[in-house]
Amino acid sequence: MTKSLYDYSGDFDSSFDHGRLSKEGLVELLHTYSDYIRRLDGHWYLSLMNRCGNDTAFACDSEVWERLVLHELKIARDLLNIKGDDAVAVAKVFQASPWFWMYKCDIDLKSRDHLVITYNSCPTLFALEKEGAGREQKICVDLEMKIFMKMAHFYNPEMKVTALKLPPRSGPDDICCRWEFKVDRKK
Amino acid sequence: MTKPLYDYSGDFDPSFDYGKISREGLVGLLAANANYIRKLDGHWYLSAMNRCGDDVAYDCDIDVWKRLMKFELKIASEMMNIRGDGVSSIAKYFQVSPWFWTFDYRLELAGSDRLVVTFVKCPTLLALEKEGLGREGRICRELEQDLFETIAHHFNPRIAVVPVQVPPRKEVADFCCKWEFRIEGSK
Repeated sequence: MTKSLYDYSGDFDSSFDHGRLSKEGLVELLHTYSDYIRRLDGHWYLSLMNRCGNDTAFACDSEVWERLVLHELKIARDLLNIKGDDAVAVAKVFQASPWFWMYKCDIDLKSRDHLVITYNSCPTLFALEKEGAGREQKICVDLEMKIFMKMAHFYNPEMKVTALKLPPRSGPDDICCRWEFKVDRKK
Repeated sequence: MTKPLYDYSGDFDPSFDYGKISREGLVGLLAANANYIRKLDGHWYLSAMNRCGDDVAYDCDIDVWKRLMKFELKIASEMMNIRGDGVSSIAKYFQVSPWFWTFDYRLELAGSDRLVVTFVKCPTLLALEKEGLGREGRICRELEQDLFETIAHHFNPRIAVVPVQVPPRKEVADFCCKWEFRIEGSK
């Protein structure tokens, strides 16, 4: 049974808006919208893959996310005032992303210009591992690199992205992936 | 220039989460994520259509929304406690759906068994009209009919969905489409 956030069981209220929800209810609803985004994306991928094959679905996925990640970055910049040219801005974007709360991540900001992010739990990777078709090679390696590069270069075109650890995992206790974002200002 | 909902321009805060944002800010972020959902769906459709044709994209769209509607209705029923077999449940569902952030719409409840919903402004129709391929014939008539029936029958299998006026628009109308939800057997 899902937790009830608001009791709209009474009469229809023509002036209803989401401002009626408690702060906790709004946070919970935001998390639900994040799950909605993940499901929508996943259903599109699978539906197209079943009709046209994985190569076509992957090509569409890449195209879609190259555009959508820019939209997400603009939300972070304009609505949350996340600006700058350093790894701090990227760390903040991870925290603010609708995707972030679904993962168990460690954000290790080693310095203003050096960020290491570790995904300890990732529902997408778990689903891909369960499916067993090896699709994590493309999604977690090729696509993730493209998306992270977009994020990094939105803030600083000189920022480097390095995959420190990628799937496949050695076992269920292994981390999902680990990435490094770094700006070298000594050049 | 968009007004920020939260000022995260300062130092990195390892404990940042949505709970730090004001209620008004959270409502704004919900609206932004609703727009994200619409954009994600639209980009997937267009990308699939450009590679595999409109028929394949349309079939995927049906597939995706058959599944997603169940999730969205579950959110409405369980998280917002919207239940009951009257048409007012549908009106309430429209108010809480993430899609309805993106429309300008009017809800007219006539007693307990008749609801008329008018979509005054619909970004999807405006985009389809601008594209000029006539895709609104299928999306706004067939797909919407199916989706609205799924919504209606979730609350009451006896609710009929009647398109009062749907695209294509022959001339510039002051609204995009109008639908009626009526409990069968009522006058």
